Amino acid sequence: MTGAADLKEFIAAYLVEAEEHLTVANTQLLAIEDAQRSGETNPRAVRETFRSIHTIKGLSAMVGIEPVVAIAHRMENFLRDSDRSGGALPQPAIEALLRGVRAIEQRIAALSRGDAAAAPSDELLVALDSLGLAAPIRPLEAVAIDLDPALLAKLAPFEVDQLRRGINAGQRALRAEFSPSPELAAQGLTINSVRTRIATVSEIVRVLPRALPVSPEAPGGLCFVLILLTRSSDEVLAETAGLNRASFQSIARDLPVPAPEAELVPLLEAALDGAEDGKLDTHSRRGVVRVDVSRLDDAMEGLSALIVTRFRLARSIAVLTERGVNTRELSEIMNDNARQLRDLRAAIVRVRMVPVSELLERIPLLVRGLGRSTGRTVRLELEAGNAELDKAVSERLFPVIVHLVRNAVDHAMETPDERLRRNKPEEGLLRIGCSARSNTRLEITVSDDGRGIDRAAVARKAGRPTPDDDAGLLELLCIPGLSTREIVTTTSGRGMGMEIVKRTIVDELGGELEVHSQLGQGTTFTLRVPLTISIVDAFSFECGEQRFVVPVTMVDEIIEVDPNALVQVPANDDGSPGVEIVSRRGVAVPMIQLAQVFRLKTGPKRGSKAIVVRRAGTPVAFAVDRMLGQQEVVIRPINDALVRAPGVSGATDLGDGRPTLVLDLVALSASLGSAPALPARTR
Amino acid sequence: MKLHVVFSLAGAEYALPFDAVLQMESYTGATLVPGSAAYVDGIVTVRGLVVPVLDLRTRFGLPRTELNLDTRLIVTESDGRVVALRVDSAREVLKLDVEKHQPAPSIVSERSSGFVQAVHPLGNRLLLLLDLPKLLGENSHDLKLRALLEDNGSNTRPQLPS
Repeated sequence: MTGAADLKEFIAAYLVEAEEHLTVANTQLLAIEDAQRSGETNPRAVRETFRSIHTIKGLSAMVGIEPVVAIAHRMENFLRDSDRSGGALPQPAIEALLRGVRAIEQRIAALSRGDAAAAPSDELLVALDSLGLAAPIRPLEAVAIDLDPALLAKLAPFEVDQLRRGINAGQRALRAEFSPSPELAAQGLTINSVRTRIATVSEIVRVLPRALPVSPEAPGGLCFVLILLTRSSDEVLAETAGLNRASFQSIARDLPVPAPEAELVPLLEAALDGAEDGKLDTHSRRGVVRVDVSRLDDAMEGLSALIVTRFRLARSIAVLTERGVNTRELSEIMNDNARQLRDLRAAIVRVRMVPVSELLERIPLLVRGLGRSTGRTVRLELEAGNAELDKAVSERLFPVIVHLVRNAVDHAMETPDERLRRNKPEEGLLRIGCSARSNTRLEITVSDDGRGIDRAAVARKAGRPTPDDDAGLLELLCIPGLSTREIVTTTSGRGMGMEIVKRTIVDELGGELEVHSQLGQGTTFTLRVPLTISIVDAFSFECGEQRFVVPVTMVDEIIEVDPNALVQVPANDDGSPGVEIVSRRGVAVPMIQLAQVFRLKTGPKRGSKAIVVRRAGTPVAFAVDRMLGQQEVVIRPINDALVRAPGVSGATDLGDGRPTLVLDLVALSASLGSAPALPARTR
Repeated sequence: MKLHVVFSLAGAEYALPFDAVLQMESYTGATLVPGSAAYVDGIVTVRGLVVPVLDLRTRFGLPRTELNLDTRLIVTESDGRVVALRVDSAREVLKLDVEKHQPAPSIVSERSSGFVQAVHPLGNRLLLLLDLPKLLGENSHDLKLRALLEDNGSNTRPQLPS
């Protein structure tokens, strides 16, 4: 178990959380802008934005995403200043902050794709710097805060952090007490006036009310504890606030500066401990090896070769038997061999499987964040069971589940008040269940007890007639570009993105998607996905007005074809297509017009490129019309005998909802070597 | 009484048992599979499965027609195989009394390569009942190799959810 691998795992959770905070920051900045337009300030939104950006910075520092730290740090500094000065934020600053959020979003998106986060442009940094006085980032040093544990517990982590940073920056951390009384109020001293006054000479981290026994000092049985950071002396503070000098106490305990190297690890552990306890149990992961999926694919390919060899062996034995040789013992060995191959195959398939519970372990964190940012209280019931799923399926499924969970909390759940009005429990219920439907499919349900989807409203939005059942509703929801956000709720977040859910589940994974929604009662999405899929990196190309893909591993080279350099070889008179020869680095390579072999219509760009494959070490070129690109594709088997053809190894979906053939050009060249051309189609 | 899906093809009416039909879809064309039989239009994706499209007109030796708004795909399942049938139109679901099925006259059965299994008189209409497995033909790919590869509930064989 290496640190690097753990960090990688943590990054996935980091990305999810960073996205949440970015959404909050965006929403809040827009709220600030709205307020600003009507000449008001929105201190709460400024504080929320500050929190989000602050958290993003903290998380990014933890996982070492420096470009994001650099941007967030500057935004945070400025926002803190703004927060201190009552939430005033001029329009140009809002622009710059929105730009900053976008820049972070781009980097988070890059990280999600597995790319590196680009360094921010100097121009952006200067723009952010010029907003306020950006201080250089100091390493967070451990500073003990000497505060009554009951009070300390009430401080949010970012407030404790704020204190530590202040102390590190040379400020004094203090607590002050103020007990309101009618006498003081008569002198104009209330908690509000004290607060306002004290804010002019210090940074108020938090004001905590505290109940006390009624006494002459606290006639109201109440006192306020102010937690401050300041550079001013106690005298100045007391003078300004109108308080007794004795009411100020230092809460910073001097500590020797610890060794900085020790920091990342405890921080990370603390974050993981705090994340979702129990799930990251180190004991159960002992003896775990992380393996690149492509190595497993290699193993599977090796197994396929073994199976082919077995069939050759079986044929040879059959020949021996025909000749009257006693092959009983050989046959027994063959039976053992078959069983062993089957077991081996099952073992390799098993290696690729990851527990569904692992896929879902990041969901509680997400739900918590969503609940916080939308003001919903959500109880999450997770039933992951013992089901397992192919890693490749699991990776594609995760964003879909995140989408559905986000929609459920953001759009479907009512606010606690609204729920109470509707005689529902205050706490919304979000249930995610998993069960293996058969040994090839997994069913996942995401249900909420929220407001349900209003079919008529969705239909109006889509400009279509109101569907009379759930299937019709799903069809509407999956119309590309239809965002039901405006109808369902205006809280926050993005549109439903259901068309992406459908594309992933149905088109890409070959699964099924269903919805069941009852107005006022809630919505359940049911996904059924295959437990395993096979994915390859493939070239897509066009030939005879049809698109095809060929696995990259099968391709030796892609060459330009100069029609003048082709040499026509005399054809057989059996009607099979003629072969041409192209010279490639001084070697004569047979070239086959794919359009001709497949009897396709030929376009104007006929055979301008050729894909070179090797068959038993010998190169063979297939002329095609146009190369389109390279992408990862999910291969679906073509099983039915009606559509089995030499050279066609499966089908895939390139995103247009139509199957595209996956070609095995090596097998195709082999079939051409031994058999005449495919029969002509009568069209 | 059993539910049947009724479709028309070149002026004749055919019926398929409802439980052999997975769904009906409008049809906008299939991806051609080189080397497949002339009566196979190609493949389409239905519920995430890659499914062959069998053009019933060509299968019955009738002239092909262009696609139009009435053209339908009837997605059928028989013996675990899922195949879509391209028909001229399909508009009705009827309850038919199975008792009233009459065996196809031998000459009909012979002339239709055995595709027509029975006939069902309904008022002044006559519905032809198809022998689906016969229509789809043998599924004769290398069963042994596949059986070995796909045993133990593997992934590659598509399985329709129950």
